[in-house]
Amino acid sequence: MLGTNVMSLDTDLATDGDSFEVIADCIDGLMQMDADGAAIPALAESFDLSDDGKTYTFHLRDAKWNNGTAVTANDFVFAWRRICKNAGEYAYMMSDIGNIKGAAEIMEGADPTTLGVSATDDKTFVVELNVPVSFFPSLMYFPTFYPINEEFYTGLADGTYGTSADTFLSCGAFMLEDYIPGTANLSVKKNPDYWDADKIQLPGITYQVVGSSDSALTAFKNGSLDVVMISGNQVAAAKEDAELSKNLTVTGAGYMWYLTFSQTEKNAQGGMLANQNLRLAISNAIDRESLVDNYVMDGSLATYTAVPPQFAASSTTGEDFSADQQKFADFCSFDTAKAQKFYEDAKKELGVDGFEFTMIYGNNEGDEVTKVAQAIKEQVEAALSGMVINLQAMTKAERLDKMQNDNYDVALTRWGPDYADPMTYLGMWITDNDNNYGFWSNAEYDKLIADCVTGAYISDYDARWQAMYDAETLVMQEAVIAPLYTKANANLIAAGVEGIDFHPVALNRVYKTATVA
Amino acid sequence: MAKYILKRIGLAVATLLLIIFVLFVLVRIMPGNPFPSERMSAEQIANKRAEMGLDDPILVQFGRYMVNLAHGDFGKGTSLYYGAPITTVLTTCIFNSFRIGGLAILMGTTVGLILGITAALNKGHFLDHFCTVFSILGVCVPGYVFLIFLQYFFSYKMSVFPYFFDASRFLYSSILPALSLSLFTMSTVARFTRNEMVEVMDSDYVHLAESKGMYGSKLVTRHILRNALIPIVTVLAPLVVDLLTGALVIEKIYGINGIGKLMVDAIAGEGVDYNYVLALGILYSALYIGIMLVVDLLYGVLDPRIRVSAKEGDA
Repeated sequence: MLGTNVMSLDTDLATDGDSFEVIADCIDGLMQMDADGAAIPALAESFDLSDDGKTYTFHLRDAKWNNGTAVTANDFVFAWRRICKNAGEYAYMMSDIGNIKGAAEIMEGADPTTLGVSATDDKTFVVELNVPVSFFPSLMYFPTFYPINEEFYTGLADGTYGTSADTFLSCGAFMLEDYIPGTANLSVKKNPDYWDADKIQLPGITYQVVGSSDSALTAFKNGSLDVVMISGNQVAAAKEDAELSKNLTVTGAGYMWYLTFSQTEKNAQGGMLANQNLRLAISNAIDRESLVDNYVMDGSLATYTAVPPQFAASSTTGEDFSADQQKFADFCSFDTAKAQKFYEDAKKELGVDGFEFTMIYGNNEGDEVTKVAQAIKEQVEAALSGMVINLQAMTKAERLDKMQNDNYDVALTRWGPDYADPMTYLGMWITDNDNNYGFWSNAEYDKLIADCVTGAYISDYDARWQAMYDAETLVMQEAVIAPLYTKANANLIAAGVEGIDFHPVALNRVYKTATVA
Repeated sequence: MAKYILKRIGLAVATLLLIIFVLFVLVRIMPGNPFPSERMSAEQIANKRAEMGLDDPILVQFGRYMVNLAHGDFGKGTSLYYGAPITTVLTTCIFNSFRIGGLAILMGTTVGLILGITAALNKGHFLDHFCTVFSILGVCVPGYVFLIFLQYFFSYKMSVFPYFFDASRFLYSSILPALSLSLFTMSTVARFTRNEMVEVMDSDYVHLAESKGMYGSKLVTRHILRNALIPIVTVLAPLVVDLLTGALVIEKIYGINGIGKLMVDAIAGEGVDYNYVLALGILYSALYIGIMLVVDLLYGVLDPRIRVSAKEGDA
């Protein structure tokens, strides 16, 4: 079941998880994810890394597009240059994250052929980076880095690529069978020419866009759908049901909901939220366990770290970056006495007795968001006397617009990891970053992040890991954000369907090892 | 008569142009961002805006839009089905909505007329009461409630019809939503037909026709129904547009990608899609204006007096 429509099958234009999922059914990257989310070879049989850590040489295996032509290194060169040139939503994966030579300049108008990628021959694809990027291979399973056959693409009328099975080429486990933009049901079927076709068991997948989780649930019970996602309040009922409880699987969705506070003077009664104690007071007045148990209810995890758990594990120790949720308990926990102490300090420092803020949230971002916003209001107002939080509902687009234009006091927002490294979160809070909605600025933090991304720690994995922890500590100490919960997906999977891999990063569902009895 | 028709058409076109202009301006001043992005830098977004010409003076933008529109080009989506031309997506959605809407109109008016005529001819008897109760229920119960009811019995319990819409098995999977959609029309048509017919049947000229020995189907079709139809056509017209443009909730429940659902996605989806909102607004307006025009002309066919007065008015 897909919650929303597939917006685009063009890797340059797609921005939503559902589109990425269908693209990944049909096109392979250089690398793919194993069941645990680690990068393993896909179209690249192997790769070499230069001694300075800045040049990757990928050796491609024999693979074919479904029109019979071979997948070549040039398909990657063409697709990557195109992403940089068009400078869309995910182009930053090439520049800021992948740090590929020339990517940032091309996004600002430089010649696309200056991108640091080349096809030495049909089977050898070389990528040059500005700096070593330790997680680079794991970026390769993200659809932005997938290939497109140049000859096929340029032979199509403008704007028609990926708008039907005829205008789309597959080289992955499945190929597009039936699709038009805006369709409510699309299907992919097994690709007999896939390089790893022997391992693919499913004959195909049919996707149905379902408007509400109620119809999803009934359709599942009726046998019309084999895999559906249900909402929090259905989970409780499913657990009680002898049949459904066997089908229930909760998987990490990756993204974290958090509160962001505008620290500029034009908001929050003349910049009151620039006061650290006031932010800490609010953060410590929130009962996160109650939020996930009573309002979200789908297995989401209460979160007390700026980097959520479950998606970024150290490649040397294998330990989850945020496994320990108590490490910042001094700054982030549910403790009304502590919250009140912070609150009294804030009142003294600011010389006022009460506060009135507006909290914005999206009313088209899932059923639970409204409930969570109301619960936070109640919890904070109950814990801190004299504090008034007014709720203002709007669409997600309006919420983003207000946050980006710094026209809000407090916002309930979310961020999903784009790649399996804590930096996908920590990178947001450096000075002047577009996602630093609080306009917080800390020179020490900026330096730590710069050292991790382009400086001192880029070649020292463990030192970098430690520096990221130090950076996270600063965010939590100063309550730049108030983390709330890490979202989970509650799936119902029909008996007999097995082996679907669920991931919190990049691709939510992968069907390469799935089987149907 | 030709002059009357031309005048009506001219007026309709002028109205539509005015609506397009107002819509265009309203969409531009609507809150929300056409590129709701958290990953693009401010410069990237500015470039995308510039590419779409959103920074030009509004009249320049409007002129460009009208030129493209004249070529049948609605542009591309900014936050919805990016990349694909709107015309492609719209065609799919219109196709789905219109076919289901068309089926609903067909069922609604046919059954409604039969029920209404039966009730009127059996005034005061059991069939009349039955039709009245049915009409009241049909008007009061929302279509989607009826759909959930049908879905529960025919799809979930009995598996006679599919649980979701499936474009590849169109007719089969359209019956439940079309039936639900037609309920309101059916009841409205039945109610109006009955009331109008009862009134007409009691009028002097029908009594005269009867006294002259005319009765049976000839009397009903030529004298009673024809006169009763005028008010029915008036109420039917906006209903037709409603049915064609899709019922949002029904489309959502049954998983139909129609234009009602598209409209909501365009406004309340991830971002406000300027081009989709405009394209759909124009489509809705054109449909309403078109249907009203047809109705005006139909009056002339149904009632010669309207034709005459129009002629006198022109002269």
